[in-house]
Parts: sequence; structure tokens; C-alpha cells
Amino acid sequence: MRRLFLILKNDVRRHFKAPAAIIIYLIMPIILTGLIGVIFAPSGGGGELPPIPIDLVDKDKGLASRLLLGAFDAGQLKTMFQVTVADETEGRTRMKKGKASAMVVIPERFTLDLLDVKPVTLEVVKNPAEQLLPDVVEEFMGTLAVMLSGVVQAFEPEVRGVRAMLDGPVNAFPWETLAPELGKAQTKIAAASKYLNPLLLSLKTEKTKAAGAKANLTRSDVFSIILPGMAIMFLLFIVQTVMRDMISEREDGKLRRMLTTPLRSGELIGARILGGWLMGIVILLVMAAFGTTVYRVTWGPFGYFLLLGAVGAFWTAAFFALMNALVRNRNQAGSLSAPIILAFSIFGGSMMNPEAMPKAFRTIGVITPNRWFIDGAKLVREGQFPAVPLLILAASGVILLLLAVPALRRRSTV
Amino acid sequence: MLEIKNLTKSYGDALALDHFSLTLEKGEVLGLLGPNGAGKTTLISILSGTLRDFTGGVTFLGQDLFSDRNLRNKLGIVPQDMAFYEELNAMDNLLFWGGLYDVPRAELKKRAAEILEMVELSGRSKEPVKNFSGGMKRRLNTAIGLLHQPDLLLLDEPTVGIDVQAKVSILDLIRKVGAAGTGVIFTTHQLAEVEDTCSRIAIMDHGRILAQGTLEELIRLVGEREIVEIAGEFPAAVFSDALKDLDGDGIELLSASDNLAALAVSDTERIPKIMDRLFRKKVPVNDLKIKSPNLEAVFLKLTGRSLRD
Repeated sequence: MRRLFLILKNDVRRHFKAPAAIIIYLIMPIILTGLIGVIFAPSGGGGELPPIPIDLVDKDKGLASRLLLGAFDAGQLKTMFQVTVADETEGRTRMKKGKASAMVVIPERFTLDLLDVKPVTLEVVKNPAEQLLPDVVEEFMGTLAVMLSGVVQAFEPEVRGVRAMLDGPVNAFPWETLAPELGKAQTKIAAASKYLNPLLLSLKTEKTKAAGAKANLTRSDVFSIILPGMAIMFLLFIVQTVMRDMISEREDGKLRRMLTTPLRSGELIGARILGGWLMGIVILLVMAAFGTTVYRVTWGPFGYFLLLGAVGAFWTAAFFALMNALVRNRNQAGSLSAPIILAFSIFGGSMMNPEAMPKAFRTIGVITPNRWFIDGAKLVREGQFPAVPLLILAASGVILLLLAVPALRRRSTV
Repeated sequence: MLEIKNLTKSYGDALALDHFSLTLEKGEVLGLLGPNGAGKTTLISILSGTLRDFTGGVTFLGQDLFSDRNLRNKLGIVPQDMAFYEELNAMDNLLFWGGLYDVPRAELKKRAAEILEMVELSGRSKEPVKNFSGGMKRRLNTAIGLLHQPDLLLLDEPTVGIDVQAKVSILDLIRKVGAAGTGVIFTTHQLAEVEDTCSRIAIMDHGRILAQGTLEELIRLVGEREIVEIAGEFPAAVFSDALKDLDGDGIELLSASDNLAALAVSDTERIPKIMDRLFRKKVPVNDLKIKSPNLEAVFLKLTGRSLRD
């Protein structure tokens, strides 16, 4: 046992002297988790749309068009739209430059036709370079047109009265008849005001969610889902990097020299597997600590997580012990390990949510450590003991170890 | 101290050691000379415990070498490979490798410092070994084999690939170790190394010892004759054929390979006769050297080939 711990101590010292590979593999999952989390997690602003830039082209320059322009510059519409008054050419140029999502053209005689209760058309020109925001403008203007039509129809007698008054000369304006018309209109406006103030029309975004999904998914939740998958993937890389020493030592004569000493091959194999295992646990703990402090990741009961990490690291060490016993040389180990780890990660759910994967992928994923580690981490996060993942990882790890030890013993003699 | 009896090892049909027997006494420095494939490394591998499936026996300090793992504490191995950790410094390497033997912890550091002094690396003991020159690495490789003060030191071609200065330093170290009472076996291709360093020399080929003894004893095998080395452009068979009826008349063909041959002559007056015969048989000769009897001639006589082969 003394020699076993001497080898462990020496390995730790060596990896501290040349830590570049381990540091890179340690940082990668943390960075990737951060990037993926930032891209896919909900932002703190609650998903509100930014003000939509639109250009308004007023060819009418009448009362109704000015009221419309004024409405865009007031109240809730001001927070929804950023309006620029422009002529048609200028509006199209601004859209080409991406400065406007849409252009609304108010036609000539808009006011007069509206007062004549004739059909009028508001033209919406959408910026083809954009996808969502022009559609929002189009929908909004459609709703506005319905509202205007409703208002005009509701106030038709008053509108027609006002229109008739506008037809005569100013000095012949029948001022005495205006007061009753305004009185009637005031009565209707008062009745309708509770629907108009605050503005009934507003844009609201609503998110759909899968059945059974939890409400209010935070960014920390997203990190908590991503990090275990990344952690097991890079744990595989790190443990393989550490355990590949077994092959290097076989190739460069250090193994032969060790076996000329009183060291037993069992002690040597034990040291190598124990080293890979302990290194795996330490790496997982570092990742967990980083995830907790920086990303506010929640792991669930820490004891359960530690147990899951220890068993996951054990599986990894046993797997690479067997692989390193079977491969011929360092190059073969290098060229085999990367595709194996990537396949584990793809099918096991480190790179995408296992629930969103095709069924065939999920079926293959069952033979990967990633899948069971991720499933276990999810159960722990929900406060449950991950009995099934632990059992499967531990049992398959023991089988791998039982295969690895005699194979390594055979490789320990020339 | 060491007795090897009828050691036989084969790789498939190829016989690497063929009933190999040898004894070594305390403080004796034995140089094991042999061409590539002679079985030297196989012998060292068996003695160091890394090669199995052989027949025969090895007794070391009165015990079967392979019966007790603790006997390895008395055995020092210096492999041909630079077997240490390049990312660590010399002191850390010595402490690790020494730690694998049963050296008391308190004594280990003291011995490491002493051995670094002995191999002239004490000034660089804290520097990563990857920065060392080839000669310094060889010295460290040797130091690791000596740290636990073994009774028997086995060195497998310890001077390969290093400059003259480093070679002299290592050979000097081997002499000192032998003088201190440690038995030493070292294998080499270099005749000059064993001539200067060893108290006994064994010449082996095809897995067997062909001859052994002191340098003087071995040289006596070729007698008090001059050695004539002839270089030219000839196939070995043509050269041998041209001189075959001269053999025995104070002339002995020691070896003949393509373009190079060696003969032992009782006196230099025989040389014109040889040249005349070669001229008449139209064997082109470019160069001729006359040498005093030496180990190379013995090697040529015993193996029929040069060490360079």
C-alpha cells in the first residue's frame, strides 16, 4: 500500500507540474455551460419586445391622420412603437438600411373619406429583411383599422353632422347646431371611455409550455440542466488524459523499470485506477463548486450528488483502464478515445436534452455513462435518491474493472 | 553472488538464450559483448524480472532470484530507455524511484543528494529533467539504478547516444561502483568501453557465451599474431575463395564480409603473399591495415563478424 500511495502522490505532483490539459478540460465545460445558458435561458427582462421602429407616411395631412400620428406618440403606443414621420421614398430607404421594421402609408383624403364613412385603406409595407417585428406592425394596424371602423360606425350620425358642417363656407358655419352634436358625441364618448382608457389594444406575448413543465424557468435552472451533461463529458476527457499515462509508461520503459522494483503489478494497477477515480471526483467537485458560486446552479442534496459523482468517476476510471489495457499504443488510444467520448456525449444527452432526442438516440444512450449521470443529477436536483442510475453505473463499472485488471496484468509483463 | 544456469528463452522459433550460464562475484565488473540479436537484452530482462516463460535457474545471494520479491531491493537496473519523468526534477525523480525500494524514508533524501553529487548533477537537482542534455539524462538514469545501493547492478547499453565526456563519466562511475563491492554486468557494443572498464569480459552470440575471461586471456585466443584488415570491393565468398588454400600456412582468415575481411598472420612477411594471391584472383583491394592483437580480433574470430554488423 505504501508504494501505491507513493505512485498516487507522484502522479499528483506530475500533473501539478504540467497542468495545461487538465485546466483546459476543466474550463471548457464551465465556459460551454455559460455560453449555452446565456443563449437559451430566459433573460431578466421578462421577454418584453423592444419598441418597434416604424415610418409613418402622411399623404392626407388632415385631422384624422394627425390624430393617428398623435396617438402613436402618446401613452402605451409610445412604448410599443418608435415612430418616424417620413415621405415614402425616405421610408423605403430607411427600411433598406434596417432602421425601420415597417412603413405605414396614410392615403390622401383619409380624413374626408373617413368622415364620409367611405372605405379607406391604410397601407403597411413590411421590411423583408426582418421576420417578426413587421408582422407585429401588420397585425397591429389591422386591429387599428377594425377599431377605427367601429368608432366611425358608432359615431356615424355625429360624423355625418360634422362632415355636413365642413361643406359650407366658414362664415356660414352653423355654430348653434354644433353644441347639440357635441353633446351627443360626449355622451357616447363617456360611455365608451371606460373601454378606451386605458387603451384596450395592446400587444402581449405569451409563452406556451409543455404539459407538466414547471413555470418560471430561470437562467440558474437552465445552467443546472446543462452543467451535469457537460461535466460528465469533460470528466471523460480528463480521466482519459490522466490514465493514458499507463500507455506512455509502457512505451517509454518506465513500466518495465517499475516492475524491476519490489512493486507488485496489483499495486501499480490499483494506483492507476484509484488515481483516475480520485482525479475524477476532484474535478467534479471543482465543477460543482464553480457551478454553484458562478451560475447559481442547484444540485439538490449534496451527499446524493457526491455519491453520484463518485460512482460516475469510478465508471470512467474503470472504462479507461480497460480501454488502455486493450489498445496497442498511445496514438491508438488518442484516436479512439475522442470519438468514443463524443458518441457517449451525443447519445447520452450531454449535448442536447435527452427528452428532445430522437427515440433511436435515447435507446443507444442507455449504454452511455452520460445518460445515467444526467438522469441521476436530475433526480438529485428534484431531491430524490438516484438509486437506478447509481446501481447501473456501479454495476457496469465493477464489470469493466473486473475485465480491466487481468488485461492490465497481462500488459504489465513484457 | 550470482549464478546463472542453463537459461533458455525463445520467441517462437527464435532462440534468444541457449542454455546460457554465467557466474559473477562481488565487486566484479563484467562486460557483456555481443552483436545485435545476441541475447544481451533478453538476459537483462530476465534477470530484472520483466520477462517470463524461460527455463533454467538464477541464484542470487544464495536464493532463487525469482522466489522472493524482496531480493529486488538488492538489484539495481539501468535500462536502455531513459525511464524517468521528464516533467519532474532530478531530486523528485530519485525520491520517487528510490521510494519504490525499501529505503528508509529518512535516509532516502540523504542518499539522493549523495548520488546526485556522484553523478555531478547536484547543481541541477531542482531543474526539470526535460531541460537536461542527453548525457545528463543518462547519468540520472544510472543514478536511479544506484540509489538503493544494490549488490548487483545491471546496465543495458548505458552509453548509447551520448557524447564522449558523458560516456567517460558513466564508465568512471561503473568502475567506482565495482570497486565499492557491487557486482556489475553491463552490455555494450563498444569494445573500447569493456577494455577500459571491466575486470572480466564475456563475448556472446546466438544466446550463448562464446568466450570469457580477462582482456589478456581473451587476446591470447588469437595468439601473438598480427591482425590484417583488408577493405575493397569484393563479395565475402570471392575473398574467402581466393585465400582458402593459404589457410594454415601462418595465415588464418578470421572473418570475411562483403568489402571487409580480417586475417591473423604469424608475421608481417606473409602479407605480400596474401596480396599477390588477391591480385592474381582479381580481387580489388582499396585499403590494408596492420593491427596488434586486440579484442576486436577476438570478437571477429569468435563470431565471424564485426560488432558493427
